[in-house]
Amino acid sequence: MLSLLLLIPLVGALSLALWPGNPSPGRMRTVALVVLGLQLIWSLLVLLRFDTGLSGMQLQESFVWVGSIGLDYRLGVDGLSMPLVLINSALTLVSAICTRDINQRPRIYFALLLVISGAVNGAFLAENLLLFFLFYELELIPLWFLISIWGGANRAYAATKFLIFTAVSGILILGAFLGLALLTGSVDFSLTPVTSERLAMGGQLVLLGALLVGFGIKVPLFPFHNWLPDAHTQASTPVSVLLAGVLLKLGTYGLLRFCMGLFPEAWALLAPGLAIWAAVSVLFGSLAAIAQQDMKRMVAYSSVGHMGYILLAAAAATPVALLGAVFQMVSHGLISALLFLLVGIVYRKTGTRDLSVLHGLLNPERGLPFTGTLMILGVMASAGMPGMAGFISEFMVFRGSITAFPLATLLSMVGSGLTAVYFLLLVNRAFFGRLAVTPASDAVSDGRLDVRLAPVAPRETIPAMGLAFAVVAIGLLPSGLGKLSEAASTSMAQLPALVAALQLAALHPWGVG
Amino acid sequence: MGGGLMPIISAELVHAGGKPAAAELEQQLLSGQTLLSESADHLIEVVDVLKSYGEVLDAYSINLIFQAEQQFLLPFPLFKYLDGDKNPAKIWRHLIHDRINFEYAEYCMKAMLWHGTGGLDAYLDSDAFAANCAAIIRRKTRLDPLLALLNPLFRGFLPELIRTAATTHALGQFWRVMSDLFIDLAEAEADGRVASIDAVVEFIKDGLVAAAANPITYGVEVDGEHFWVLPPEAGLTFLVDVAVPYVEAVFLRGMPFLGTVSFNAQAQQISPDQAQFAYGALFADPLPSMGAGIPPSLLMQDMFRHLPERLHQWYRERTRGEGDVRVKICMSFQKSMFCVTNAAIRGTFPQPLNSSEPAAQAANRAYAAAWASRLATARTDCLD
Repeated sequence: MLSLLLLIPLVGALSLALWPGNPSPGRMRTVALVVLGLQLIWSLLVLLRFDTGLSGMQLQESFVWVGSIGLDYRLGVDGLSMPLVLINSALTLVSAICTRDINQRPRIYFALLLVISGAVNGAFLAENLLLFFLFYELELIPLWFLISIWGGANRAYAATKFLIFTAVSGILILGAFLGLALLTGSVDFSLTPVTSERLAMGGQLVLLGALLVGFGIKVPLFPFHNWLPDAHTQASTPVSVLLAGVLLKLGTYGLLRFCMGLFPEAWALLAPGLAIWAAVSVLFGSLAAIAQQDMKRMVAYSSVGHMGYILLAAAAATPVALLGAVFQMVSHGLISALLFLLVGIVYRKTGTRDLSVLHGLLNPERGLPFTGTLMILGVMASAGMPGMAGFISEFMVFRGSITAFPLATLLSMVGSGLTAVYFLLLVNRAFFGRLAVTPASDAVSDGRLDVRLAPVAPRETIPAMGLAFAVVAIGLLPSGLGKLSEAASTSMAQLPALVAALQLAALHPWGVG
Repeated sequence: MGGGLMPIISAELVHAGGKPAAAELEQQLLSGQTLLSESADHLIEVVDVLKSYGEVLDAYSINLIFQAEQQFLLPFPLFKYLDGDKNPAKIWRHLIHDRINFEYAEYCMKAMLWHGTGGLDAYLDSDAFAANCAAIIRRKTRLDPLLALLNPLFRGFLPELIRTAATTHALGQFWRVMSDLFIDLAEAEADGRVASIDAVVEFIKDGLVAAAANPITYGVEVDGEHFWVLPPEAGLTFLVDVAVPYVEAVFLRGMPFLGTVSFNAQAQQISPDQAQFAYGALFADPLPSMGAGIPPSLLMQDMFRHLPERLHQWYRERTRGEGDVRVKICMSFQKSMFCVTNAAIRGTFPQPLNSSEPAAQAANRAYAAAWASRLATARTDCLD
């Protein structure tokens, strides 16, 4: 059942690449939409078969692929990966829908989009470390193409930077996985937690460190975030949607599944430091976002901040915090995709994303009022306004972490407040006031300029409306998603908790409390 | 998105109109040229927008006169916009907003009352007016216990309400004339008597001059007895005492819109001197039309309801078509208001324009220069 989640997009990509003749870009897009629609339907069918009561892997499929090196084709889904698979299916469809007017190599473009979607599904479903790594790397090259061919003016620089950072991330992750085999002396690449009996703490810490940096680049966490704003700025809107909504989640998924899941003891040891790292990342991302002039860079830096919450939740590793982390992955996926879609609309209509230039886009008849309305909804959700997805996830992350790491949690809450600061700056500058799309020179003469933006067709906002609906729906009815992930996050929380209890017992053998 | 598409350059989305200098405007006024340039498009815009404006003004005028006469000093004038027709169907249409926005008429009335220039305002502060008020209030307070209680507590309250009613009625009378004039203009254009912007200006000027000496009077019935508020012997006339103050208050000075400038005195964005105000119809920015806190949006909506098909079609073919039609109405309306101002200036030159006497020419020049210096900072970019 799960293999079809890989097969549908990958076979789709292959058939697009081999499509006979010279089909029109519109035809290519339709085929991609059909494939992605099928993928979404299949993900929903998987969801129907998914048993929310079970905490472990379900719907497993496996066969030995290259047994000698420990590479098994083993897929499974649990409460952590199920929502991410759904997000992947939905957002790839959204990014294909919002790909319009592509007239440069549409065949390759849509094929790459499908490859990414299939690879990401593979990474989320893989139950074997090497298999995960294969899919993790498989998504890298198509994305590099998507940025370097269909990107902005400075795309070569951004794409290369992305490639270097992510390749280093891949090397570190592969190094850690192989190191695990080397140090434990077995080629067991399953997801079994590594305990002190199998590997001494020193070795665990080294491997965990490599994984942390590897996934920290992908997330990205400060100070490994450097590639993200450039990649977003140069990527086209659909690619940004995919990058922020789905691909960053590979990093956070890796943190939870591999860093915490494989090395619970070392994780528990490092947790206080990780919480501080999370807070620093949150504050840095938020403060950097405040300083941005480019709307897209601002949204990109907000991702750096908001991904920090997930590290905080993972460090605390309480059931509530981990459920919050899953919520944050989903809500950040939806919200950042929404924001990038809207910034894309603004850019398409005005030719600029510069906050010192754009003004008054909420103008009811001549501006982009509906886009502005959705933008206000999106930034409110991102800033954690109750009633929307951002509130639920941030509340749970903070609620779950405050007892474990009060200082780091409080600092992260400041970051949450700063989200309101930079997004209100964005809304106030770009959407309020007198409509303008050119640099202000003189208040009087600028006030006389007639601005003629093309209107936003309803079909252009349909994907954004869908995401906005999902953001509000999760905010109002979080229990569905909660039920989906609760069993998994609770069982994940037991790992470090168990370890902590064991350590406590070791420190106080006579029994305290 | 991807390569191959022409990038959008923001500057190409922006259009700047001309800004003629005061000397140029003065020359246009003295030489009898129109401020608005001659073009077939301008003729359609001005004539048709004035036609819809005429229809709206008809409704405004009827309602203002109804309010001043039938809702006079009513403490709770709940049905003031219904023109005395309390038919449930009409109330329903009012509630679902299938109606003219009479609030805009009141807004203009308040602008006139607040700026208070000209003969009408002078009369409202006169002893004769105070005596009329005293008589009306005496009779009215005998019937109305609430007013009987309020009047001794707040001596200025009822006279101020009567001033408001007088301004309301005077504006109603003014708009009665203008409404008929604009609808006549549309007929004249339809049968070919008016075929240029110059002819439009001339037509309006003739209409204003013909009505110039119309008396402005206002009386009310209280308890079966007739009282004058603006009696014939006050000698108030159409052009000098109502039209000119109206132009001053609504075309030129106006009031700043909420949200477009800071009302905070420390920000010093609004002049403390009312005479320096320049927020009127000739100065207003059409772009924010339909935004919150922009009262003329009400007028644009009303004119949209009465838009002639020819102009509607003209709008559909431009910029966003139906999507920004009210902004385009506002732009056309601004052009037509320049024509009306043009006509008013033409009709009020102190001396004939073709006079060869140096003293007459100097007087005309001074008059034109005074207007030109004010218009030079207005939204003349719409005139090209």
